[in-house]
Amino acid sequence: MSSSIENSHFLLRRLHSLLGLVPIGAFLVFHLWENSQSRFGAAHYNDEVVGALQGLNYLLVFELFLIALPLLFHAGYGLVILRHGRAEPRRYGYLRNRLYWLQRLSGVGLILFLLLHVGLTRIAGLFDPAISADLFGHMQRALMQPPVFGLYLVGLLLAVFHLANGLATAAIVWGLTTSAEAQRRFGWVCAGFGLLLAAMGVHGLLGFLIAPGAGGGA
Amino acid sequence: MSGGQQGGQVIVIGGGLGGLWATLAIAAAGHRVTLFSLFEVMRSHSACAQGGINAVLDTKGQHDSVRQHIVDTIKGGSYLANQPPIQSMCEDAPGLIRTFERMGVTFSRTPEGLLDLRLFGGVKNKRTCFAGASTGQQLLYGVDQQVRRLETEGQVAKQEWWEFLSIVRDADGVCRGIVALDLRSLEVRAFRADAVVLATGGLGQIYAPKTTCSTNSTGAAASRVYQQGARFANAEFFQFHPTAMLGEDKTRLMTEAARGEGGRVWVPKDPADRREPTRIPEAERFYFLEEWYPSYGNTVPRDIASRAIWKVTRELGLGIGGGDRVYLDLTHLERGFVSTRLGAILSIYRKFAGQDPLTTPMEIFPAAHYAMGGLWVDYEKDPATGGMRRGSPRNHATSIPGLYACGECDYAYHGANRLGANSLLSASYSGRVAGEAVASYLSGLERGAEAAPAAVFDAEQGRQAEINQRLMRSDGDQNPFRLHRELGELMTTKVGVIRDNAGLDEAIAELQALEQRFERLDLAESSAWANQSLAHARQVLDMVRLAQVMAVSARARDECRGAHFKPAFDIKMPEDSFPGEPAFEAYRERWKANNAEWLKTTVADHGPDGPRIHFEPVDLGLLAPEQPRDYR
Amino acid sequence: MQAQTPSDSPACETVELQIRRQHGPTSRPYWQTFACPVRPGANVVSLLMDLREHCVTQDGTRVDPVAFEHNCMEEVCGACAMLINGSPRPACSALIAELEAPIRLEPLPKFPVVRDLMVDRAALFAHLKQVKAWIKLDGPWDVHERAPRVSPKEWQANYLYSRCMSCGCCMAACPQFGPQFGPEATFVGPAPLAQVRLMNAHPTGRYDKAERLHAIMADGGLSDCGNAQNCVRVCPKAIPLTTAIGELGRETTLQAFKDLFGPH
Repeated sequence: MSSSIENSHFLLRRLHSLLGLVPIGAFLVFHLWENSQSRFGAAHYNDEVVGALQGLNYLLVFELFLIALPLLFHAGYGLVILRHGRAEPRRYGYLRNRLYWLQRLSGVGLILFLLLHVGLTRIAGLFDPAISADLFGHMQRALMQPPVFGLYLVGLLLAVFHLANGLATAAIVWGLTTSAEAQRRFGWVCAGFGLLLAAMGVHGLLGFLIAPGAGGGA
Repeated sequence: MSGGQQGGQVIVIGGGLGGLWATLAIAAAGHRVTLFSLFEVMRSHSACAQGGINAVLDTKGQHDSVRQHIVDTIKGGSYLANQPPIQSMCEDAPGLIRTFERMGVTFSRTPEGLLDLRLFGGVKNKRTCFAGASTGQQLLYGVDQQVRRLETEGQVAKQEWWEFLSIVRDADGVCRGIVALDLRSLEVRAFRADAVVLATGGLGQIYAPKTTCSTNSTGAAASRVYQQGARFANAEFFQFHPTAMLGEDKTRLMTEAARGEGGRVWVPKDPADRREPTRIPEAERFYFLEEWYPSYGNTVPRDIASRAIWKVTRELGLGIGGGDRVYLDLTHLERGFVSTRLGAILSIYRKFAGQDPLTTPMEIFPAAHYAMGGLWVDYEKDPATGGMRRGSPRNHATSIPGLYACGECDYAYHGANRLGANSLLSASYSGRVAGEAVASYLSGLERGAEAAPAAVFDAEQGRQAEINQRLMRSDGDQNPFRLHRELGELMTTKVGVIRDNAGLDEAIAELQALEQRFERLDLAESSAWANQSLAHARQVLDMVRLAQVMAVSARARDECRGAHFKPAFDIKMPEDSFPGEPAFEAYRERWKANNAEWLKTTVADHGPDGPRIHFEPVDLGLLAPEQPRDYR
Repeated sequence: MQAQTPSDSPACETVELQIRRQHGPTSRPYWQTFACPVRPGANVVSLLMDLREHCVTQDGTRVDPVAFEHNCMEEVCGACAMLINGSPRPACSALIAELEAPIRLEPLPKFPVVRDLMVDRAALFAHLKQVKAWIKLDGPWDVHERAPRVSPKEWQANYLYSRCMSCGCCMAACPQFGPQFGPEATFVGPAPLAQVRLMNAHPTGRYDKAERLHAIMADGGLSDCGNAQNCVRVCPKAIPLTTAIGELGRETTLQAFKDLFGPH
């Protein structure tokens, strides 16, 4: 009678959904909040934010098991799921169907963005200690270039959308919202959450450009 | 199978309520069933019944009784139905409802969670179980789900998209299987079976497009076994529903409740009046039901309303624009009231006519609705109870051994007219009884179908394949779809709501001429894959032959009874006279004398020169015809 | 407009009908155009019926009648569903007067074409079996006891689901359902899921609730739903399919807990 355990299908799908929210979604919120501190300037950012993180006990374990592996699974299994659907956003122009399509589109976009983002920061930092020593400066120099800024802006919005919409559909998947009315209401809640999150994220990006000491090399 | 208790092989033809019930009963007895259907099972016409299903539950404080249900059914049918089957059906109805409920049918509920009952036409007590406005659909799905389960268990096999063409009889005349046509590959194949159940539904398509019946209610299957020797009974009795909305493809039923709740039926006094109906002043409208039947007005019974509308349009030429249509007007009623009471028909009319009955009068006309007549079936009377003997192999057996019939394609329960909400009951009940009878038949069978020589199957298969080949080669000028339309027009006009012998004689001659035109068929397509014209052409030809039975039966009955109305033989009830008064008693005597002559079942046998009619007595053991129907 | 009589005017106008045709399951589809006379009240089925009698294309070529399925013509049998101007819907309730011309007719997508506008919906019925969409009866005989009571409120919710006529529109519009994803990975689709919701609500159908939930927790089950929610938008009977999916989400969550931690 425990076929839902013996058959991995259900568990894998739910794991995919769960990991998207916790820890990945939660990390996104934390990450954007952290980076919104860019507006306090290089010193604060490098010491209080990045420095505090780097001083965490078992940092690598956290990074590996709370971020990297869940993200890899979520992305990889997401690509598997992608193969089992075919969106027709134009034939069925309903909002939820468009969101279905955008969720998949944003997922693929995010994979590409994250490869770049993680590569430019965390991975590059492994090889060049100067990057992790002055992450603020590193990011600032990058974001000063309009194409990179544009790319980060798009990546940010994709991530926020993917999380907010994922939250709305997860509520259906897990059975939190069942009636159409509840689904619609929670949809607006998620939209509001997404907008706030996006605002915070944009603020963080702008912070690198307008923070005290911006424009110089600290 | 060779006469064992279990393990027989039965073919059931038709996936409506009757066929699926028969399937369940046969499978419950341990036999295997192959279920044949023209389309995916669950799409049958049973789904169309909206109103409900009668069963005496007596949960409304009205002291309803099974006896009253029996009496209502007998009287509703003008005493023409044998009474033992009616008795058994009404007695078993509550148990049938309980079984449906166990299957998960979503019957509407009372505040206490019990089955709700509604009042239906022709009776005094609330006796009709219903599931929203889609009772037939819900009942059908209930049994469909059970059959699907049996299918997964291997006890039932479905042959969907196969059309029944004929039965196969051995040298003793016993039915040993069927020949069917694969509607996709056009393969003609014989199937062996120890018994065959026909549950192929009604025949309203004979009146197309003025019928509420589905496209596949052609009566072709019943016609085919009739042509192979099965008797056909009471073919002249066909119920017309007075208020069906017009349509190019079919007419759709607007429930009587529309009149009951205050709807008014009228036509413009000038048929050439082309104004919008709402712009026609009261003085220029003819409310003919109210004028002709002052005491009843618009709420006259179905048959009277149908005849009045027929008279206004066809005899007086006063139909709207001179055509076959009159207004059924709800626009004068309070909108909130109409919306709550008649929500279902409002939405049907809006959906299919694109107009709102709250602002525009509906256009309606009588439509062929239900065949009381059908394949003659036997029953065995249980002297102890007066009903049918349970489990008798004679119940629902046609005149061909091994061939059973149930549902609308038999004639057993409705006599000369059907009581509202008794059709879903008779379809379900007869299916179950037929299934039980088949099980008894199989246990008494000495040799199964496998003992029948292959030659009889090969011969019948060859004969049917040959018919198809001839049709495929046809190069005449007669389009089968056009012939169908002409058949419908002819039957609607001459074997319809009102009949007269001169018209019936013409109809018989014209039907023969119509049949002959099939010699010059133009099939319009020669595709060897999913050729719908081929199947249709065959159906229409068999419909024409069945129409002949209907016309000849109608010609043979010189009286008015139930749905069969010949004005020349009408015995009118004196209007202001009541039982005990001389005028009424004189009428009662004439009525009884008429019964003495005509209260008998019409039975048609297929002959080389057309249908041969004889009559059979009716079992009146329960209720003798003493009281004429009096709705006053 | 108001001077025009709504009825009785003879066939005067014509409408252009573009039909995607296909001789058989493996043949190449092609398009044909017909000019059909339209009478008031005409719908797609009535036009196709007229075409059977006189099947001539716009350029005057006589062709085989268009094969299509229809039966009740009252939107309860589910037979005539097809793609009309790109949307899946029953043809009988598609009034010509309310459609944009030219009218494009295509077979219901996602299901294999039999011929022209006829499709084979066997997958739908197979999925109903897969999810065990029935109440387990001891037998079809009378047990002289009625089923337990159902509150009117519960009835009201259940009734909506019992009106599903398996027309296949929801499956046709579902981005997750389709033969292109391979038979082993086929999503059961919204209609069978809604039936699980219905059967699990029945007083005795509940006995097999876990079995049905396990059926939809397997491959191709509930978790393959992508929440695009086209199903509920195209359903001709306005069945709250996505509500059923949400409720089943909750039920499967609880079921998974039971499976993991007991009681079984």
